[in-house]
Amino acid sequence: MLAKLAWNGMKSKRKDYIILLAGLVMSIAIFYMFQTLALNRDFTSENAMISSMQLVFNVGSCLLAAVTFFYILYTNMFLLSLRQQEYGMFMLLGAKKQYIKRLMFVENLLIGIIALIIGIAAGAGLSQLTAELIMGQLDVTLEGYQPFYLPSLAVTLLFFLVLFFVTAVWNHIKLSRLQVLELVHAETKSDQVPQQPKKNIVTITAGILALAAGWLSLIFMESLRELGVFSAAIMTTLGTYLLFSSLLPVITNAMKKKQKWNENGIQSFTLSQLTFRIHSLKKLLATAAMLIALGAGAISGGMAFKNNAENIAERSAVYDAVVHSPTAEEEEILEDITFTEAAEYRYKKGEEYNYYLKEDLEKQRPQIQLTTDNVKRVEADLPDQEGSLEEVEEESASIPNEWSQFLTMTAAEDYSRRPLIVSNALYDDIEAEEQVVFIGKADDFLAYRDQWAKLDELREEKLASSEEVMASTSKYSMYENYNTIATGTVFMGFFLGIAFLAMMASCLMFKVLSGAAKDIPRYEMLRKIGVPKKLLNQSVFKELFLVFLFPALLGITHVLIGMNMFSFIIVNPYYRIWISLLLFTTIYVLYYLLTVKMYKSVVLPEEK
Amino acid sequence: MIDSVVNVSNVSKVYGSKGENQFQALEEVSFSMQEGEFIGIMGASGSGKTTLLNTISTLDNVSRGQIEIAGTTITEMKEQALADFRARKLGFIFQDFNLLESMTVYENIALPLFLQKMGRGRVKEKVQHVADILDIRDILSKYPAIISGGQKQRTAAARALVHNPSIILADEPTGALDSSNAASLLETLQRLNEEHQVSIMMVTHDAYSASYCERILFLEDGQLYKQINKNGTREEFFKNILDEQAEAGRKKL
Ligand SMILES: Nc1ncnc2c1ncn2[C@@H]1O[C@H](COP(=O)(O)OP(=O)(O)OP(=O)(O)O)[C@@H](O)[C@H]1O
Ligand SMILES: [Mg+2]
Repeated sequence: MLAKLAWNGMKSKRKDYIILLAGLVMSIAIFYMFQTLALNRDFTSENAMISSMQLVFNVGSCLLAAVTFFYILYTNMFLLSLRQQEYGMFMLLGAKKQYIKRLMFVENLLIGIIALIIGIAAGAGLSQLTAELIMGQLDVTLEGYQPFYLPSLAVTLLFFLVLFFVTAVWNHIKLSRLQVLELVHAETKSDQVPQQPKKNIVTITAGILALAAGWLSLIFMESLRELGVFSAAIMTTLGTYLLFSSLLPVITNAMKKKQKWNENGIQSFTLSQLTFRIHSLKKLLATAAMLIALGAGAISGGMAFKNNAENIAERSAVYDAVVHSPTAEEEEILEDITFTEAAEYRYKKGEEYNYYLKEDLEKQRPQIQLTTDNVKRVEADLPDQEGSLEEVEEESASIPNEWSQFLTMTAAEDYSRRPLIVSNALYDDIEAEEQVVFIGKADDFLAYRDQWAKLDELREEKLASSEEVMASTSKYSMYENYNTIATGTVFMGFFLGIAFLAMMASCLMFKVLSGAAKDIPRYEMLRKIGVPKKLLNQSVFKELFLVFLFPALLGITHVLIGMNMFSFIIVNPYYRIWISLLLFTTIYVLYYLLTVKMYKSVVLPEEK
Repeated sequence: MIDSVVNVSNVSKVYGSKGENQFQALEEVSFSMQEGEFIGIMGASGSGKTTLLNTISTLDNVSRGQIEIAGTTITEMKEQALADFRARKLGFIFQDFNLLESMTVYENIALPLFLQKMGRGRVKEKVQHVADILDIRDILSKYPAIISGGQKQRTAAARALVHNPSIILADEPTGALDSSNAASLLETLQRLNEEHQVSIMMVTHDAYSASYCERILFLEDGQLYKQINKNGTREEFFKNILDEQAEAGRKKL
C-alpha cells in the first residue's frame, strides 16, 4: 500500500525524476565512454604517440571516478530532498520507520539500476557516434576501437553498483538519524541566511600555492616525467578547489557590495541570487573548471597533434613542390597552384655528378633552411670554373656549403649523385640529356593537398620506370607520414575531450535545474510586483553568465598553461590553438544558452 | 468621479476555455472604492475573493467588464504596460510574505525603487521613512530568514508602501501570523490608512481582521451580495460582521 503511495509520489514529481535520471544516465554513459578507450590497451598502445599514454588514461580514470563520485553524491542529496518530506509525512501518519527505510533503500537501488541500464546503452551509442563522427572528420578508419567493449562494461557496472550501494546505505543511516519532524519540515529549512564570507587568507594562499605547483608541473613536465603527471593532476585540482571555495564568495560579495552595481534595477536581485547561491555552487564550479580544463585540454592536445603535421612538413622543406622535368600532366597540375616563389634550374646527369647550370642558379637564388626556425636566401658566391670538367670535378668539395645544401637536399632527385656547378661553356659540352628541376612554394601548402598527392603519385610512377635508387622524400609525404602516425592520438584527444565536456555540461546543468524549482516563487513574486518580463529574462541571463564564466576562465587558463606539456613532442603546441579554443567556446556558449532556456522554462513559464 | 481610486463595473470571470468544464468564479461584480478607503472583502472559501483581488491587481484578466484604477482602465492594457502599472501604482502584501531571502530587509524594501532606477540617496531616505512608520528600522540589515513572522509581514508592508502606490492590495495578510502579530499588523494598516491616507483593499475570511476596515464587501459564489459600513466603534463593527456571517451560514442550511 505504502509502496503504491510512494510510487504515486514519484509520479507527481515526474519532472524532477527526469532531471535526476538524466543526470545519472549521463554520468554513467560518459564513464563508460571513457573506459572504452582507457581499458582497450591494444588500441591505445597501437595508436598513441606518447609512450606513457596508459598513465595518462589511468590518471584520467581516477579524476573521472572522483568527479563521478561527487556527482552521484550530489544527485543522491537531490533524491533525498525530493523524498524526505513525503516519507516524513508517512511516518507522521504511523508508518514504521523500518519499513520506510526499506522503501527508500529499494527506491535508491531501483533508480540506480534503471539508470545503469539506460546509461550503458546510451554510453555505447554515444561512443559509437563519437567515434564515427571523429573518424569521419579526420577522414580515417582506425582498427580496434570497440564502442561495445566488455571489460569497460564490467568496470562501469561494478563501479556504479558499488556507488549506488554506498549512497543507499548512506541514506539509510541518514534516515535513521533524522526525527520525523525534521523530515516533514525539510523543505522549509533550506531558507538560510546568506553567509558572510570569511576572507580566509590561509585557504586562498594554499590554493594559490597548490595552483602554482600544478602549473609548474605542467610547464616542466618534460623533466619531471611521471612525477609531473601526478603532481600536475593532484595540485591543479587541489588548487582549483581551494581557490574556488575561498575566493568565489569573496568575489561575488565584493560585486554585491559595490553599490553602484547592486542598487541598480534588477541587478540587486541578480547579484543577491548569485551571492546566495555561490556557497552551494562553488565546489561544483571547481569541478566544472577541472572538467573544462580536461575537455578543452584534450581537444586542444588532439588538435595540436593534428596541426603539428603542417609544422613538421614546414620544417622538412622550404619548397612545397619539386618536380624534375615535368610531364604534360604534371605541368597541368602545377598550373592550378598559385606559387609565391618558383624557379627552374637546368642540369645534366652524369655518372657520378649532377651538373647544374651556373647561370640559372645565379639568377634565381633559392632559400634554404639553416636550422629549424631559420630560413634564408643563399648568399654565397658561386664558384668560378676556369678549367676543364675534370678539374672542376676534382674541386667538387669547394662548392660553398649553402649551395651544396640546396642542391643535395632540395634540387636532387636522387641522393646518389653529388652536385657540381658548371659554366655555360662546360655545360654545353656535357653529353647528356638536359633536365630541368622545378621548385615552387605555394601560397598555402594545406590548400593544395590534392595536387601534392597527385604529383607524388606521378613521381612514383616515373621513378618506378627508372633506375634511381635513393629518391628524396617530398614535403607532402612527410606531412602524410606524420598524419598517419598522429591520427590515433588525435582521435583519443577529441574523444576524451567530448566525453569530459559532456560530463561538465551534465554536472552544471543538473545543478542549475535541480535548484530551479526553489526559485519559482521568487520569480513569481517579482512578476507580481511589476518587474517586466524583459528584466527577469536579463537577470537569468546575467546570473547564469557569471556562473558559467568563472569555471571557463580558470579552465582555459589551465589549458593554456597545460599545453606546455606537449612541447617535447610537438613543434609548437600553441600553433592555431585559437581554433580549438573557438570550438570550445562555441560549444560552451551553445550549452549556456540551452541551460538558460531550460532554466527559464522552469522559473518563467510562458503565459498564454 | 475624480476621487474614486478603483472602479469595478460588471466584472465576470470564467475559468477554463470553451468546451472544457468551465467555472464562473465572478459574476457581474460592480463596486467602487474612494481614495483613502480601507475596504475588506469577505466570503466563504471558494467564493472568489482571491480571484477578485487578482483581477484588480492586474495579475489575472477578466472575461467581461471593466476595471479602472486611478483613472486608468486596466482591462484594456497590454502585458508590458500592466507590469509597469503594477510597479508604479500598486503595492502587494502576500499571505506568505514572499520576501527574497537572498536579500537583506533593506534591499527587499528598496527593490521597487531600484527597479525605478531611483537615485541612491533618495532610496535610502524613502526606505528609512517607511521603516520608521512600520517600526522595523533596527532590522534593516538583517536577512529575512532570521526575523520573526510579524517582522517579515511588516517588511512586506514596507515594500508595498515604499513607492507611494495608489492602492495597497493584501490577500490574507494575517494568514500566517499569530494573533498578537496579526493585531499589530492590522493596527499598522489602519494607521497607514488614517494618518497617511493610503487606500487599502484586503481579502480576509476572519471577522476580527475585517473589523479594522471601514467597509466590507461580501462575496458568495462569485457574486457581490452585500456590503456593510462601519458606523461606530470597531467592537460594534466586529459584531455586525459576525452577525452577517451567521446570517449567511443560516441561509446555507
Ligand atoms: N486558475 C483557476 N482555474 C480554475 N478554477 C479556478 C482557478 N482559480 C480559482 N478557481 C476557482 O474559482 C473559485 C474561486 O476561487 P478563489 O481563489 O477566488 O477563492 P477564495 O474566495 O479566495 O477562497 P479562499 O478563501 O479559500 O482563498 C474556486 O471555486 C476555485 O476553485
Ligand atoms: Mg484566496
